[in-house]
Amino acid sequence: MVNIIIPFPLRKFTDNRREVKITADNLAECMETIISQYPGLNLLQDNPALLSIFINGKLSKDSWTDVILNNNDEISLIIPIAGG
Amino acid sequence: MITPLEQTERIFLPQSGWDEIVSHCKRKMAGEFLPGESKVRRAYGILAGSQKGREIFIKRVLPVKKNARTVEPLKTYMDTVMAEYARPSRTPMSQRGWITDPLELKLCYEKCDQDDLDIFGTYHMHIVPWEGDPIRDTPTLLDTVLARNSNLFTFIIAMVDVSRPLIKAFFEGEKNKQVPVAVQPERKTTGHH
Repeated sequence: MVNIIIPFPLRKFTDNRREVKITADNLAECMETIISQYPGLNLLQDNPALLSIFINGKLSKDSWTDVILNNNDEISLIIPIAGG
Repeated sequence: MITPLEQTERIFLPQSGWDEIVSHCKRKMAGEFLPGESKVRRAYGILAGSQKGREIFIKRVLPVKKNARTVEPLKTYMDTVMAEYARPSRTPMSQRGWITDPLELKLCYEKCDQDDLDIFGTYHMHIVPWEGDPIRDTPTLLDTVLARNSNLFTFIIAMVDVSRPLIKAFFEGEKNKQVPVAVQPERKTTGHH
């Protein structure tokens, strides 16, 4: 199981859960699973270049399918916020 | 059950928070920068607090240090959005707009989670008067586009008249979703001798 940390702006899509536990072998599977559980998170796929994913505190820049996940990994999903 | 943010009826901001926001804006306008801070004369920050029913209580002001406006792939995104939606101004497009550094934002979220605070919005200032909009106390079209689906309030700090700054809040930067902000005086505590 990996633990996905949901930032406040995305919690309206996850029934206000701060963390979601998912079973996945790699990051692609993890993202697919969480989006299928919480379809509102589909917006993460709207502009993937804007999405930063941190695994155990480190920014992951590899292809999602190449990122192998281990039990208890902590995944943070960060979409930058912007203003004029 | 948590009330959706778009149903908020009032936002309370303590006087100390308001003072912190204004001094952040004035410092950046004066070109005074902290170590590690992007050297741009614009202020951008995050407001966190708690929610009770349809009211939000801001408890913390988190000035953002880094503007990732020139860092790819965020630069390309901002250039594209600005070319389409930003109104030409005396400030060049390349120097306008603020987008948070992902790591700084992550740390900010973590800090708030640790203190059981939720993030309710971002603030930035408007300092240049526009024709037909001399006060600049409402979101621009660009502000609205950038705040879309953010589930956050956009707090506009109108600083055209630096001596009389104004604050207004708009859910997801929509002009027709303004929520009143009440700046609350704080009771001063006196020490015992």
